[in-house]
Amino acid sequence: MTRLSAALAAFLWTACAGVSAAQEESQAGPVPVTGNAPIFCTVGSLQGGGEVFDLGVLVDLSTGLLLPSLSAPPKTLTGAFCNTGSMIAISATPISAQTLTGTPSGGYSNEIDFTATASGWTQAPASFSTATGATAQSSQTRGDAFSGDIVVDIGTFSTSGGSALRLVADPVYQGSVTVTLTIAN
Amino acid sequence: MTLRTAVLSAAAMLAASGAASAQSTQAFNVVGTIPSICAMEEPTLADGSLINFRGLNGTTLEVDQLTDPSTLTTRAASASVSFAAVCSFPHNLVVESESNGLWRNAGSGAPSGFADGVPYLAQLAWGPVNGNLVADASARRANQVTIGVDEAVSGEIVVDLEIQAGASNLRSNAPLIAGTYQDTLRITVEPQ
Repeated sequence: MTRLSAALAAFLWTACAGVSAAQEESQAGPVPVTGNAPIFCTVGSLQGGGEVFDLGVLVDLSTGLLLPSLSAPPKTLTGAFCNTGSMIAISATPISAQTLTGTPSGGYSNEIDFTATASGWTQAPASFSTATGATAQSSQTRGDAFSGDIVVDIGTFSTSGGSALRLVADPVYQGSVTVTLTIAN
Repeated sequence: MTLRTAVLSAAAMLAASGAASAQSTQAFNVVGTIPSICAMEEPTLADGSLINFRGLNGTTLEVDQLTDPSTLTTRAASASVSFAAVCSFPHNLVVESESNGLWRNAGSGAPSGFADGVPYLAQLAWGPVNGNLVADASARRANQVTIGVDEAVSGEIVVDLEIQAGASNLRSNAPLIAGTYQDTLRITVEPQ
């Protein structure tokens, strides 16, 4: 052992044990080498960068009723990974009128329910309906480490309060979807 | 173990205990828009509402017998006409009588003692509002009423038309001169 090595080892022991025991000539070791790989999850990066599902005009302009053909392209989160068992959870809030407040008049609604799904991570997609709130399907777990893409989609739109209700005019209707990856306990 | 190894190991432990790396989230917005729209369908007659009206022919509502055959005075008539409609924003309901009463088409004026105009009343009901248009046949001109509606409404615009017995633009129970009497009633829902 060189003089430099001995000095380093002595310094380390001092730090660990808090004992002042430096000696001029001593043999250090064996010293166990340990390290931890941190447990880690990331949802990856959003392909295309757009975090907005833009549905455009929400109603049939001749009837004022919710368009039955409403849709938006799905979003893909690429490069998602968890280096241990994980849970994927999805939640959403209804698409509601942002400018108008208060209770809509009779025959009208100001809110649209929908279902958001996150697939690709677990065998069964995680799904969340704003009409029913969180259910067992809203979070799914997998026991092993995994990396892959997560596809987030929205669909099954319905007028809150019933399909016979029309929707009040408002330039901005907005809701949200949140996807979360968490290490499994 | 070298000092360098020990320091790196400690840093890794700190990272593992932090919450940020154990959870990762992506949020999305879902947006859309609903433009201001008003729509109205063709008129329909309320069941059993016709008195002395023949019924709707397209958008024409025809009085069966406008005059009493023995006195030539106006016979009473009434009908209730509905328009299925929707307006998704605060709006105005405008009802306009083109001639302010039923007027004889041909000729101008009427011989002394005869009437050539028949007044009527249109009563309106639409969502939270009601209104009247009195087409009194006092003069042949447009007459309209505008009713503000401060909320979105869907349902039916109901127009109850009523011609009273003996009504005329001359005096009560004046005889009507022969001819075809008509008026055009326009119902509009429009932005305020």
